[in-house]
Amino acid sequence: MTAPVINFNEKLVLRDINLAVEKGSFTVVIGPSGAGKTTLCKAITGIVPYYMGGSYAGDVEVLGASTKGKRVSDLALKVGLMLEDYESQLVSLTAGEEVAFSLLNHGFPAEEVKERTSKALEDVGLPGREDYQLDELSGGQRQRLLLASVLAVHPEIIVLDEPVSAMDPDGAESLYALLSKIHQEYGTTFVVVEHRVEFVLPYATNFIAVKDGQIAAAGTCEEVADDVYADPELRVLLPELWQVRGELAAKTGAQFSLWRKPADAVDELKAQGFEGGVQAHA
Amino acid sequence: MLEAKNINFSYRRGVPVLQDINCKIDDGEFVALLGHNGSGKTTLTRLFMALDHPRSGQILVDGNDVVKMEPADLADKIGYVFQNPDLQILADTVFEEVAYGPRVKKLTEDSVKKQVDDALEAMELTDLSQSYPRLLSFGQKRRLGVASALALGPKTLILDEITNGQDQAEKVKMMEYLQALNEKQGVTIVLITHDMDVVRRYARRALVLTDGKQVFDGTPKDLFEGSYPVENWGLRRPLASVLAAAFQVSAGNCHEFCAAVTKEAK
Amino acid sequence: MKITAFSWIIITLAITAWVFILPVKAVATILVLQLVLLLYVKHNRMMLAAIGGLGVFTGMMVLLQMLFGSSLTVSLIGGLRMLVMTMAFLCMLSTTKIQDIAKTLVDRFHLPVEYAFMLTTALRFVPNFLEDSSVTLDAQSCRGYSNRANALQHLLSYVVVIRPLVMRAVAKSETLALSMELKGFGANTYKNMPREQFTLWDLLALLVVVVLSTYPFWAKYFQ
Repeated sequence: MTAPVINFNEKLVLRDINLAVEKGSFTVVIGPSGAGKTTLCKAITGIVPYYMGGSYAGDVEVLGASTKGKRVSDLALKVGLMLEDYESQLVSLTAGEEVAFSLLNHGFPAEEVKERTSKALEDVGLPGREDYQLDELSGGQRQRLLLASVLAVHPEIIVLDEPVSAMDPDGAESLYALLSKIHQEYGTTFVVVEHRVEFVLPYATNFIAVKDGQIAAAGTCEEVADDVYADPELRVLLPELWQVRGELAAKTGAQFSLWRKPADAVDELKAQGFEGGVQAHA
Repeated sequence: MLEAKNINFSYRRGVPVLQDINCKIDDGEFVALLGHNGSGKTTLTRLFMALDHPRSGQILVDGNDVVKMEPADLADKIGYVFQNPDLQILADTVFEEVAYGPRVKKLTEDSVKKQVDDALEAMELTDLSQSYPRLLSFGQKRRLGVASALALGPKTLILDEITNGQDQAEKVKMMEYLQALNEKQGVTIVLITHDMDVVRRYARRALVLTDGKQVFDGTPKDLFEGSYPVENWGLRRPLASVLAAAFQVSAGNCHEFCAAVTKEAK
Repeated sequence: MKITAFSWIIITLAITAWVFILPVKAVATILVLQLVLLLYVKHNRMMLAAIGGLGVFTGMMVLLQMLFGSSLTVSLIGGLRMLVMTMAFLCMLSTTKIQDIAKTLVDRFHLPVEYAFMLTTALRFVPNFLEDSSVTLDAQSCRGYSNRANALQHLLSYVVVIRPLVMRAVAKSETLALSMELKGFGANTYKNMPREQFTLWDLLALLVVVVLSTYPFWAKYFQ
């Protein structure tokens, strides 16, 4: 996807966007509130500007084809979207109906709808629950239900806007484990906007940093970690683990591999001879 | 001062939400209330605010049993800030929003103005006092929620997950406001949160609930740097604590850790 | 014994006509049948509350009619008629899935899909709005609004809820509309949904409807 400029609602929300999201990647979008991350998500799915209005210059290409002139629902077959308010994205009264909705609308035959529905529910950890009413499902389960309805159309890209903002740590971890499983199994490209980057760090392959409507940095984890750290303003957007990595590297000149979880950091630091022992007063 | 004595509570369906809770929160404390979803944290604070009443046991606010009270009676002692800022907006300007409480309590116009101005100043919303609340940014709305709770001058603030959905800068700002209120004005802060980092850096006491039972009551430092089964309780250690514990140094945040392991002079 | 939504709609519409053309005893019999049906389908608190609510509403209407000068008998009969009509809708809603009703309205009665979908949407979001409104009421209480004073004040407290609720409804409906658009909602939506099977019971029900609706014509032969 590349798009030089995107305007929205007469207020410049995104500008000079030159961006390519790699196929099959697990891309994480980070940035301060109001930077334009949500608008970026909507641009990828064609909602902005075709559904929500606004204007843009340049081109948004998804999967090799421009999004210009495409119906939003046709694009949705290739690019799934889960917004922060996933609750309001659920349209039906039972789980089975919800997953089948999009398929039925696009004219899939009944047998196939049934098959895909049951597979999608299985994939998200809600097997056999076609007849469950919405209010029989917990918040986390409803989120998974929406994910199932997105999966049922077999999209190539799935975009999620802050999926775990209100979750407790257990919930957040298990959701990302699920997303990773889908990523591995189906090779779907993921684009996730996230503030709580520590939960997505074990799975991310690429990062995009958005600031004031512009792309401040984009690339694979290896490329981004050092460059973003070098800029003091962007540094705070990085996962905390990498901020530590950058700070220690800057202070000691040592080289570190890319840590994915705290244990990685502990192991490598110990291996490199770091030690504590100096009792600093808290 | 908030006190819970032998509290047992369940909603109509019969599943016990709180069991045998005993705790006391003194004036001026900064307490973080932690636990997995459904552990009873919000319920406990609702009991303190008399939004619900316990099956058995006593809830005392400043020594008075609240069993016959309703939340309006406690509005000038406890300010309760709910999780969703949009659902709490009741007026058309920021000023009127914050003035809601004082007006309902029929304070004089001068008093109302003073209370509102103080509250707005504490949360740095004075410039926005004539703005339409729904057009504020999410972070500003959260601050508005706190300001509204402060309007009646309560000595305690209960805040339900107010760091959700905010970026790092906004979170830090909010916590600094709370810290200022706590340190300069002696306001007791009771914070329900999932953000362990915030707990380690700002709270001085952590109360952990699991399945309605109290499992920990102590300092965040002990909680995260000790050997408690925090994962079983649905919590995670903040990065600084994990690193600090592994290298046997003491660190409240990552910078301190880096300084400690590179043996910088303090 | 399952009757399709189509038959139910016909029955319900027919009942609204019958209350005026059938003798009072017959209307009362219908009422009894309705109550039996409702309690057979779902005898829980909600059902009793719904029936009770309708009963109270009817009672108020009867009183109002009497206030305007009608005699007791006339008012009671009027109340009976109204109760039977409203109960008919309750019966239909309790025994039929909303989706089926919506589909029938679109397929057979040519209702535009957007309106039909409103039925589902309403049902879907009512619990959400109830929850939201309780948060707003709580927030109001916590700011000092006392619920004690009198019934009027209690009622007024609900007024404050309206605005935040409406705002939220608008915001949610935007997301919902977007979601429906993404999922391809349109003319095809109801076409592709599974169709209910017409059974013998439906034929029987429709026969009963025809017979009862033509009552005025053949009643005189039995006089």
